[in-house]
Amino acid sequence: MKLRAHRFKQNALEALANPVLQASMKKAKGKFVDKRAIAIKEIDDFEATREAAKEIRNRVIENLDLWLEKFEQAAAARGAHVLWAKDGAEICRLVVDIGRKHGVKKAVKSKSMLSEEAGLNLALEAAGIQPVETDLGEYILQINDNEPPSHIIAPVVHKSLDEVADLFQKTHHTPRKTDIPQLTREAREVLRQHFLSAEMGISGGNFLIAETGSVALVTNEGNGRMVTTLPRVHVVITGIEKVIPTLEDLATLMRLLPRSATGQSISNYVSVLTGTKAEGESDGPEHLYFILVDNGRAEVVGSEFQDMLRCIRCGACMNHCPVYQTIGGQAYGWVYPGPMGSVLTPLYTGLENAIDLPHAATLCNQCGVVCPVKIPLPDLLRKLREKQVERHLRPWFERLAFRLWAWVASRPALYGLGTRFAVRYLKWLADGKGSIPRLGLAPEWTRGRNFPTPEGRTFRELYAQRGRA
Amino acid sequence: MSSRDDILGRVRARLNRTPENAVTGRAAIEAALAMKAQGPRPAMPSQKSALVERLVEKSLGFSSTVERIGTYNDAPAAVARYLAGLDLPLRAVVWPQLAHLDWSGAGLTVEARGAVDRDPVGITGCFCAIAETGTLMLCGGPESPASVSLLPETHIALVPASRIVAGMEEGFALARAELGQLPRAINFVSGPSRTGDIEQTIVLGAHGPYRVHLVVVEND
Repeated sequence: MKLRAHRFKQNALEALANPVLQASMKKAKGKFVDKRAIAIKEIDDFEATREAAKEIRNRVIENLDLWLEKFEQAAAARGAHVLWAKDGAEICRLVVDIGRKHGVKKAVKSKSMLSEEAGLNLALEAAGIQPVETDLGEYILQINDNEPPSHIIAPVVHKSLDEVADLFQKTHHTPRKTDIPQLTREAREVLRQHFLSAEMGISGGNFLIAETGSVALVTNEGNGRMVTTLPRVHVVITGIEKVIPTLEDLATLMRLLPRSATGQSISNYVSVLTGTKAEGESDGPEHLYFILVDNGRAEVVGSEFQDMLRCIRCGACMNHCPVYQTIGGQAYGWVYPGPMGSVLTPLYTGLENAIDLPHAATLCNQCGVVCPVKIPLPDLLRKLREKQVERHLRPWFERLAFRLWAWVASRPALYGLGTRFAVRYLKWLADGKGSIPRLGLAPEWTRGRNFPTPEGRTFRELYAQRGRA
Repeated sequence: MSSRDDILGRVRARLNRTPENAVTGRAAIEAALAMKAQGPRPAMPSQKSALVERLVEKSLGFSSTVERIGTYNDAPAAVARYLAGLDLPLRAVVWPQLAHLDWSGAGLTVEARGAVDRDPVGITGCFCAIAETGTLMLCGGPESPASVSLLPETHIALVPASRIVAGMEEGFALARAELGQLPRAINFVSGPSRTGDIEQTIVLGAHGPYRVHLVVVEND
């Protein structure tokens, strides 16, 4: 997926001005939030479960090299090929090579964010292999000229029923319908033919299990089962950080992942896949490949951002984020939106390429509160802001403004004079009303909210007055 | 340098890996794998009958339907009744391991094999079932093909009450004990396939079955 994070401000303004997107986001707002709130009550000790999940993920990342070796060994012992990719280009090369080796014409895909990172669909098309997205949301985006997803769990949360109806009519050459079950049935019929005719299935992986060399896949639609049961080749693409130790650890994490993501106590389908088709089995792939991907992750190991590698991609942080709820996911300009994306995008693509993302948050800590593996997202965002300042990446006017501020603030007399003037100016601007609808010097601050009117005098003036009394 | 060595090399460097701490690290890994420690778990009933009740209740919550029968001999008639009640074809694919039941005696035409696209009904057993979430644990194999619970629009599962366990942990422990190594595919199934992608409206039967019917066999 093309990186557009440097255009964040412009993207966000466009999102705010897009009435269809605004209506869709308003409609979606709160649904996942409410369902999660109910589902976590079923867990007797939710906090202890979160803590346990955090420890499982930390245990792996603190010895990531050794756990990866263990996984590789266990997977190979069951007949899987374990390959490694440094970046998106290498993912594409490996998958195309596998496709060519096995004479693949068509690949059915279950949702994989790593393949979005790599821009895999375009590479497959260029190599003459037809990629077919089979998650309903991802399919809708693919037939809309490979539009990027706006959520890692609900990729078309930003789209209206009318838009989907138009797309289906145009693509399937069928009469336009706006009944959601009928649209779903139509997609089912179309995709079923692809499942049955594809030679290769490509999936992501929610977890890799070191003990058994397995991949765990979680879906509600069952497309994950289709792409891993029917084609004769299966390629799993995951980040190197996705390893967990044991099946018991999977059980613990599965109490948190669906509840945090969609508010379900479990997803409809959870598959634990190990090795290839056994002797006498009528289904399952004959060839299984794991592609373990770095693409920026190795550099996060052992850094001050290591906590981010715990992420299990549930999407709870974006569901609860007031910024995400307002602008949607595409404005963030890369694969991962919301608070987790605002940390991941700068880490994986370079701080200088995503200059505004660490600032696309109010630091209200909703994301930190709901994160099932306790990633301190606001702290990480703050650290990224510090890094930007240290590396002089902020724009010149901002740096100049802060330098000016520092100069004034270290001169008490001047500071007192300045604030007295500012407070009186704001009061005059308010013209007797309780708030200021538009700040003259910083109109962006008051685009979506009013500025409260100062009471009249500065803290220093009041302090001096009380001191005399 | 291969990408493997490059990636692992950089991870090792960042973790300050030395030959000495690799030895202690590997020992810690083997210890964790041997211990198979469990995380905190929701309280579950210990009585079998209460586990059955919970499985039934949770399955209904996932839009499955449930019937409870006495013995395996009652299963073909129960399946035929269910299909007739919904006006569904009395024709099914069945797991080979269940082929011995008297399906034709109940008026059903069954074939014991993996499913293909147009098979209307799939009948499976289950490796075990998980009371905590109302989930079937299906282990793939020559006698239990994964396609039977996946391709047909209707999935009927025979669930022996004696194989209803508390959580996923017990399911995995059973698999280790009885199967030795994991089968190629363990599929946990909780109700029919669903999607909420279009305007968060839940629709059943996205790609997999539209309906899942559990037949709980009390005295297996």
